[in-house]
Amino acid sequence: MNDNTIKIVSFLCNWCSYGAADLAGVSRMEYPADIRVIRIPCSGRMSPKFILSAFREGADAVWVSG
Amino acid sequence: MDVNLCVGCGACAEKCPGKFDDGYNANLKQRTAIYVEYPQAVPLKYAINPKVCLKLTKDKCGLCEEICPAKAIDYTQKEERITLDAGSIIFSPGFKPFDPSRFDNYQYTNFANVVTSMEFERILSATGPTMGHVVTFPKLPLNPKKKQDKLLVEKRKDPKKIAWFQCVGSRDINKCDNAYCSSVCCMYAVKEAMIAKEHAGGDLDCSIFFMDMRTPGKEFEKYYENAKEKHGIKFIRSRVHSVTEDAETHDLNIRYVDEKGGIIDDTFDMIVLSVGLEISKETRELAGKLGIELTPSGFCKTSSFEPVTSSRDGIYVSGVFNSPKDIPESVLDANAAASAAGDALSAARNTLTKAVEKIPEINVVGDRPKIGVFICDCGSNIKGVVDCAGVTEYARSLPYVEFADEAMYACSQDAQNKMVEYIKEKNLNRIVVAACTPKTHEPLFQETLTNAGLNKYLFEMTNIRNHNSWVHKNNPDIATQKAKDLVRMAVAKAALSEPLKEEKINVNDTVMVIGGGLAGMTAAKSLASQGYKTHLIEKKDKLGGEAHKLYKTAQGEDVQTHLDQLIREIETNENITVHCNTTLEAVDGFVGNFKSTLKTKDTAFELDYGIAVLATGAKALVPVEYEYGKDPRIITSLDLDKRFKEKDAGLAKLNSAVFIQCVGSRQPDRPYCSRVCCTHSVDNAIELKKRNPEMDVFILYRDIRTYGERELLYKKARELGVIFIRYDREHKPEVKLLNGKVLIALNDHVLNQPVEIEADLLTLATAIIPRRDERLANFFKVPLNDEGFFVEKHAKLGPAEFATSGVFVCGSGHYPKPVNEAITQGRAAASRALTLLAKKDNLFTSGTIASVDVMKCSQCGVCVAICPYSAPRFATEGRFAGKAEINAVLCKGCGLCVASCRSGAIHLRGFDTNQIFSQIFALGEVV
Repeated sequence: MNDNTIKIVSFLCNWCSYGAADLAGVSRMEYPADIRVIRIPCSGRMSPKFILSAFREGADAVWVSG
Repeated sequence: MDVNLCVGCGACAEKCPGKFDDGYNANLKQRTAIYVEYPQAVPLKYAINPKVCLKLTKDKCGLCEEICPAKAIDYTQKEERITLDAGSIIFSPGFKPFDPSRFDNYQYTNFANVVTSMEFERILSATGPTMGHVVTFPKLPLNPKKKQDKLLVEKRKDPKKIAWFQCVGSRDINKCDNAYCSSVCCMYAVKEAMIAKEHAGGDLDCSIFFMDMRTPGKEFEKYYENAKEKHGIKFIRSRVHSVTEDAETHDLNIRYVDEKGGIIDDTFDMIVLSVGLEISKETRELAGKLGIELTPSGFCKTSSFEPVTSSRDGIYVSGVFNSPKDIPESVLDANAAASAAGDALSAARNTLTKAVEKIPEINVVGDRPKIGVFICDCGSNIKGVVDCAGVTEYARSLPYVEFADEAMYACSQDAQNKMVEYIKEKNLNRIVVAACTPKTHEPLFQETLTNAGLNKYLFEMTNIRNHNSWVHKNNPDIATQKAKDLVRMAVAKAALSEPLKEEKINVNDTVMVIGGGLAGMTAAKSLASQGYKTHLIEKKDKLGGEAHKLYKTAQGEDVQTHLDQLIREIETNENITVHCNTTLEAVDGFVGNFKSTLKTKDTAFELDYGIAVLATGAKALVPVEYEYGKDPRIITSLDLDKRFKEKDAGLAKLNSAVFIQCVGSRQPDRPYCSRVCCTHSVDNAIELKKRNPEMDVFILYRDIRTYGERELLYKKARELGVIFIRYDREHKPEVKLLNGKVLIALNDHVLNQPVEIEADLLTLATAIIPRRDERLANFFKVPLNDEGFFVEKHAKLGPAEFATSGVFVCGSGHYPKPVNEAITQGRAAASRALTLLAKKDNLFTSGTIASVDVMKCSQCGVCVAICPYSAPRFATEGRFAGKAEINAVLCKGCGLCVASCRSGAIHLRGFDTNQIFSQIFALGEVV
């Protein structure tokens, strides 16, 4: 993983947080470009393995939101 | 603005010089002349306000036309008159918040820190003018230009003390003409205080000044208690007379009389006026043109038995225009109006539908992935920040990518047609689109795939606009890098996608309604009139339920006459089969395919049906306090109704009648308000006064909750001389039977001294308690709340249905409610059921659902236990009996079972474990 860019792997629930991230865009809110969103159908889909795997790939943080 | 061309990019609004008040933000800030109503608008299309647009007013500017990359600006558009032929009309014009400018005592227009609740609502919102940060001087711009405003803004601070004043423009015929209660303000004030504390931190001091705290909605009382006990919000029972402002600090000084009669002075940083709901002059005029009758308060006149039908045939109403109401009741009204409008038109259903042409699907199973990637510029929205050509070039280098192209607008018809051509020409079998959000655009691109003969699930979308170019516009290099990462992740996932099948759901269009009370009968009648065979199950020997015990409605209609008529209609309706003396013994199956065993007396029979409506109702509590049962003069509200119904002449001879409210309600073991009892007692008190104006009638209450226009009854009762004495939960009235007398002792809240009343009749307004039918709940796998009422799908948006597909709810089994609301919910449940029934031959499961790898399943049962929709169960027959299997119809594709399966035996199609891993791994690749 390239240290300069990717820091936070974000698992966002399709029904709430993913939509909120969309809304942040429509509202032209600015935030650091360090997150990479992975859309999941529900935060219930999250498995601990995804989190561990993201860290193993070099993520600085993992954000699960739902 | 040509809405067919506008792509919602917002480039126009960035440059537009015209400004006007932003109504969505309660005019607390300005918006440009070309604007979108609010950021969440669907579809996201811009509009021009012709009153402020410089081009349209002065023929200057024209910037937006120059800028618009989609050529959507059209200044020549004129107001159009459109004529539609309609069989039914639903009229939902809504309300207007009360304007407090005319109240000189609160100085809303003059004092900088007096705001309305609507303004405060926007102040609390993340998309509001302060992005959710609560600050003083909220009516001034964040960075004002005027000198005097600049001086004021220097005094801006985070408030430490905020007060809410209730009933501003409601329950007031002194300063305005709104005698009714607006129904929603108590609850929204509690909510605003809670959120303000959340945003500002725990030390924010919130005080709510009220007359009666009215939280009679489902779960509302607990919310109120929680606000008081856990969050320290102060509730002060007082109507504040006036507000003055400190000339220097602009703090607000108030003086009020507390409950003990003491005069208190206090200072607040901000005051929120909890403004009521009003029907605007324009709406009243329109109602006049439509020829529908209004109540004196301006709401639509409807009967309790046809609660969404206006006085004019074919016009139905919903929402606050029908009566002041909260979100769930508005949603129920809307559902009910749809059912009423549809009942009248059922013969015409499907007469205007057309069949869609089916394009044969190409089999790609086993083929090497050949991915086509389309990068959207979105005009300059993405391209203005991200190097789209670079990203496209990069995409070509990724594994399995056969083809990549850049499109100015990937969603345009032109680009879609090209996409179909490329798919065919290059034999592409997976498609990735990097553009805006899949939440709005995924279906569009999936349709394109279908048109090209590809299964629509061979598609992956990644969001390089909302999540990238729009939010990182000052960092084009980083945004381009991020876009590449996102495309790489999407390509990795798409390579693993498989064609998915949507199974057809067979719907048996017979309906079973359980419970033959008002709500259940209403649901059955509506479904039957739309042509569906309906079985109405009632455990007692006759239809009608608890309504048999009621005398009249809050609007004065005789309940029994209407009830008898409804029962006759049900019994003679050829689409309805009534099963009295019948109980439900077993339920099997799922939406569209239920099978039940029922028992009438000793005979069991089977019933196949597709939809179930649970309308099992509630009942009155049998009181265990206030000496109930020890003296015939101590009765319940329903006992009194019985006497009214039987025209008991003895009632007119009473000298003194007392009502005690909240008997069993709003207490720790039953922490909810039974909603109907205040109105019921007030109405019965009026009836007694009518029979004998000399009678002393007392109502002992905690808060009088005559919400909406029921407030007029409360007013009338006071005018007739009914005496209202308040008590609190810790000091309940004491009832004694002494020397043949019924004596009630309590502390008078006005005199602040003990009083004793002798009653010839003591009526206990008993709680309404649920039947807590756990067996029924288990049959349909639907939840009950702590008190035993059914839990609906969504407290606000799904109030007549369950999370379990095909099962609906109405009546007091959901929550205590009066006649008109039970009927509304009965219609609403029917309306929601119709959304499934009407699609009988056209209902499919989603493709993105879970499936079990039986070879790995260890039969542990975690999935069966954990699924909120009851989709997994143990197979009962066949080779894999005992293993878990997923019912495709019930599965909502959430993936909870996949994540909890300890054997890794469950796959979620479309979001499978290997696909999510592939995205994570793709991120880990060094570029």
